[in-house]
Amino acid sequence: MPTETQPSPDTAVNLMASATAAQTQPTASDATAASRAALCTALLPVWGRHLATSRSQSEGAVAEMLAAFAEIGPHLDRAARQSQQITAALAQDEGGIINLAQACEVELAPLLAQIGGPQAETLRKVLGMVQKSVGELEMLSKPFEHETQMVSRQVERMYVGFQYQDRISQMMTLLHDDMAHLQTVLTDPQAPPEALDPAVWLARLESQYVMQDQRQSAKAAGEPDQPGDDIETTFF
Amino acid sequence: MAQTILVIDDSASLRQVVAMALQGAGYEVLQAGDGQAALALLDGRKIGMAVCDVNMPRMNGIEFVKAAKALPAYRFLPILMLTTESQEAKKEEGRAAGAKAWMVKPFSPSSLLNAVSKLCLP
Repeated sequence: MPTETQPSPDTAVNLMASATAAQTQPTASDATAASRAALCTALLPVWGRHLATSRSQSEGAVAEMLAAFAEIGPHLDRAARQSQQITAALAQDEGGIINLAQACEVELAPLLAQIGGPQAETLRKVLGMVQKSVGELEMLSKPFEHETQMVSRQVERMYVGFQYQDRISQMMTLLHDDMAHLQTVLTDPQAPPEALDPAVWLARLESQYVMQDQRQSAKAAGEPDQPGDDIETTFF
Repeated sequence: MAQTILVIDDSASLRQVVAMALQGAGYEVLQAGDGQAALALLDGRKIGMAVCDVNMPRMNGIEFVKAAKALPAYRFLPILMLTTESQEAKKEEGRAAGAKAWMVKPFSPSSLLNAVSKLCLP
């Protein structure tokens, strides 16, 4: 029996009243069943509210992260584009800076041979400076390119990670609704006996699963895993 | 001019993830929270394709596909179902309704963009 300090829904009391009305002398098992029903009807709404709060908080957190990610995204895209542009500008095909530096060396070689003296020395010095700078630029661009690729891979992972909120939310909604259904059945004196049949209950619950994860986690321990059917894309 | 893609999902965060992936690749995105809201957007405007969830309130994804295909102007609108549903029976329902592809969430942006590039009308 619920005490004064515990939640004591009228419905649970009604259930007990129904149980006692059915027999003039209530048995010990009637009393146990009634107190279990009372416990469930007191607890289920509390659990339901905890679940709803958890779902709401996780949705809020993901929304915040997405908003921040939406702000960062364009900057990352711009950095990636700039990296590609630098790589293209340096590329050793025609018009690239590296190719241009090499072309200068080749084209100016006959001139250097002709002029000689301090002018040739100055020109060689300038050419050397250009080649050194181009070489350093090339060395700098390589890790930048690598970093950009690494960031792209992590961004892809973040896109996938954000989507788990939707799965979690669906699972929690199903659990919340099922708990509410249990509470309804427990507090309904007219509920047919099959309403509390575990096999019927589980079959109804299973019919509402949409994800392989749900089917997998609903199985009894020791049952073999079913092959996953979460193949990403099917074209019709 | 950028192609427009209609994204339909009752999860705001999912819509945002899809929209970000598509916008990052240069697509324009229209969003709707369920099939009924999406149908209201099929008002004659040019849409390259729709990316649609299955389980939604008011009008689910399969009902939306059937309703969209019944509109003469959108009879050939390619629709990609993007859902946590992965059962063959559900996929078959989507195919029979007229969907062009079925993608299970969570998706990778590259897979989504690959499918969109194959299906989107010019």
